[in-house]
Amino acid sequence: MAQLFDGLKVLELAGHAAGPFAGKLFADYGADVIKVEPPEGDTARHEGPFKDDIPDPETSALFLHLNTHKKSVTLDVTTEEGRKILRRLIDQADIVLESYRPGQLAEWGLSYDELSKDHPDLVLASITPFGQSGPWRDYRGSEITLQALGGPMHLNGSAYREPLKSGGYVAQYHCGIATAYACVAARFRVAMGGKGDHIDQAIYEAQAGFRDRRTVYTTGYSYTGFVAKRQPPGSRVAMGPRPTADGYANIYAGGTKHFFAALDLIGRPDLKEHPDATKNIVAYGEEFAAEAEGSWMAWLIQRDKRTAVAETQEIGLLGGAILTTEDLITDEHYRSRGVWDTVEHPKAGTYEGPGRPLILSGTPRQAPQRAPLLGEHNAEVYGALGLSDDLERLRSEGVI
Amino acid sequence: MAESNPLPLEGVRIAEITVVWAGPHVTQILAEWGADVIRVEPITHVQPYSRGGERVQSREVARRAAESGVLTGAYPDNDPGEDPWNRNNAFNAHSRNKRSMACDIMLPEGREAFLKLIEKVDVLIENNVPVTIERAGITYDVLKEINPRLIMLRMPAYGLEGPYKNYRGFGTHVEGMIGHHWLRGYPDGSPDETGEAFTADALAGVMGAFAVTSALLKRHETGVGQQIEMPLAEAFLPALGEWILDYTMNGRVAEPQGNLHRNRAPHSVFPTQGEDQWIAIDVATDEEFRALCDVLGTPELLADERFQTAVARKQHEGPLNEAVSEATRSWVNDDLFHRLQAAGVTAGSVHNEAALMQSPQLLDRGFFEDLTIEGVGTHTYPGIMTKWANTPNHLRTPPVKLGQHNEEIYIDLLGYSREEYDSLVKRGLVGTTYSEELVPRTWLPKQEQ
Repeated sequence: MAQLFDGLKVLELAGHAAGPFAGKLFADYGADVIKVEPPEGDTARHEGPFKDDIPDPETSALFLHLNTHKKSVTLDVTTEEGRKILRRLIDQADIVLESYRPGQLAEWGLSYDELSKDHPDLVLASITPFGQSGPWRDYRGSEITLQALGGPMHLNGSAYREPLKSGGYVAQYHCGIATAYACVAARFRVAMGGKGDHIDQAIYEAQAGFRDRRTVYTTGYSYTGFVAKRQPPGSRVAMGPRPTADGYANIYAGGTKHFFAALDLIGRPDLKEHPDATKNIVAYGEEFAAEAEGSWMAWLIQRDKRTAVAETQEIGLLGGAILTTEDLITDEHYRSRGVWDTVEHPKAGTYEGPGRPLILSGTPRQAPQRAPLLGEHNAEVYGALGLSDDLERLRSEGVI
Repeated sequence: MAESNPLPLEGVRIAEITVVWAGPHVTQILAEWGADVIRVEPITHVQPYSRGGERVQSREVARRAAESGVLTGAYPDNDPGEDPWNRNNAFNAHSRNKRSMACDIMLPEGREAFLKLIEKVDVLIENNVPVTIERAGITYDVLKEINPRLIMLRMPAYGLEGPYKNYRGFGTHVEGMIGHHWLRGYPDGSPDETGEAFTADALAGVMGAFAVTSALLKRHETGVGQQIEMPLAEAFLPALGEWILDYTMNGRVAEPQGNLHRNRAPHSVFPTQGEDQWIAIDVATDEEFRALCDVLGTPELLADERFQTAVARKQHEGPLNEAVSEATRSWVNDDLFHRLQAAGVTAGSVHNEAALMQSPQLLDRGFFEDLTIEGVGTHTYPGIMTKWANTPNHLRTPPVKLGQHNEEIYIDLLGYSREEYDSLVKRGLVGTTYSEELVPRTWLPKQEQ
């Protein structure tokens, strides 16, 4: 079946989460993605969580998730012969994703100017913590520190406690998508007769451009001179996360245009007569706030989170249940939509994982395919370069 | 080699009927790289939570909200002015580089104009509740008959089918419904202390731009468009893949992680001098731990047998984090950040908006840019999150006002005659403001004298 990226050749020199997620988006939708790993493998292979908690570079969930549909070759690019082979792989690629420290490729004689001299279509994307230029170019960055510096971390959590990072590796995943977008846009320019480019994607800058409050509130600061702050829990009446019988739900009732319907729903139509009932939520008096909040909490605690959401959706309230991973995997909605891919893996067994982010009417996505074993495609990929006879030697010399 | 290339999406025209945060963020990013984005927005009803045209706050309330650190609907100088819908920070943060036409797709005249527009665009982007698009009769099946090259991106919260199809929610509700809210909570706290994040909107923005551009690339080859269904929930799910696999492979339900890392410690935020000042520190190796202890001047931690290896540090991270907090507390935040980086420790200050906007790194790279909106003033805005070495790029036009491009779009692009256009204006269907009946000017100070 025709795929979105039929014929597109991507070379992935990037490790951990950001670059590999960009590569996954291409691979899952039909591109030919070759992942070049150091002899010991991508760092994600060593991170876990592992199948049965037994460390094994073939069963790290982070790696298994991020590298579906890719081919894996090993290559020691710190050797000269390794770099010669790397150059040949790059010359065959439409898109190269790399996450070496800034300047590393140039030191190896593989700068964009050099690589694109005879290959003006080439799209090279460099993903780094802080970018290819600037005073912090060589600073170290990781998920938590880049969220702290660049993202909305100072707003996550309670006014009474320390700031919280966002979950997992969302800054890196976000950066990976931003990179994939830039690469496709550059390929589109190539298709229209233009040139490729060297894309400089900093995770830090992607966080600074993060729509999750960051761009909204920097604009807000620029408008008002005030910074945003973490708020006290439960500070908005009948609005936001609250306990339910089986967990938590986050529903917006107080101050919304459906507030009266909500008061009917929770059996407090009398509160509609209160002079505060039509006011802005921040202007409720103490007595009204206590009455409305108390009745709202009492109503919620008698219901399961998904029931509370279903009933309030009926009257037009915005809301959602706060699900755990178990709730999520067993949830009827996602299951009925076929969100989960079943993947079979020789070492990790059979498991389910999140499938498509996109459903395309013209080019439906191909069947799921597991992540590669380390160096699984050495013979195939290097064979295609005409190196079949050298494989043994390269292996014994530690180049692959 | 500083040669300059055209922006990649020059010549691509996009219509958007988007609301709130996620949809407009997709078009923001597409416009930044050259697409001509036309925002189709009614003046005959107020799009909720979009331009902030509903429940407009008075100057006093706006100032109080901003002062208490709530910036979801802020105005320049806290003044809603006479046209708060052109002064809202949440809207103006995404609406640069766009054009706006007044058009209510639910009315016959609006539908007619909208269908004419569909003939002229490459892409349509919407993020409404699915039933809205069905009621308007503008599903892909209908529109592709008018323009077979059309690419239509639909961004419902949960999907075009399924039990939650018409569930209404913001990014923070989606983050709950996919497990992110639970995951990012305090390990010793409850989700109501976690605050609300709009991560779903941020992820959907870049994913939507990726999807649309990919479909454009495909169309170049096939000549035909397609529909892309991208629920916010499903664009977000892959970002939690490893946590989901831990459940499907090992049966482990992820507990709230807060600032913890699976393997590393210290990996958290630590207090420094001053009010609400924090620094994130992330130590992976023994070498980095040694460097951390050197900078903090805590040889006793280095010698402590509980902290000798990465595994041991993770095992004893409670006491370790307490000890590190004690040591960081007396530091000036920025000093500690640079000292730790110089010593090879991965560290980053927790920066609020003011600190971010003074970041020497972002200033050096020219991330922030000034834009002037006529009648609103000159302000600094967040810029473009990606740099291309051979394609210098800047914000081109200021945040778009309601209906700012009515005339050029109706007459020049869609071919309306002057008389037809004037008639739409006269009947209140096309214009640049909401009527007094629709939006009573309750926020304006009472006329003095």
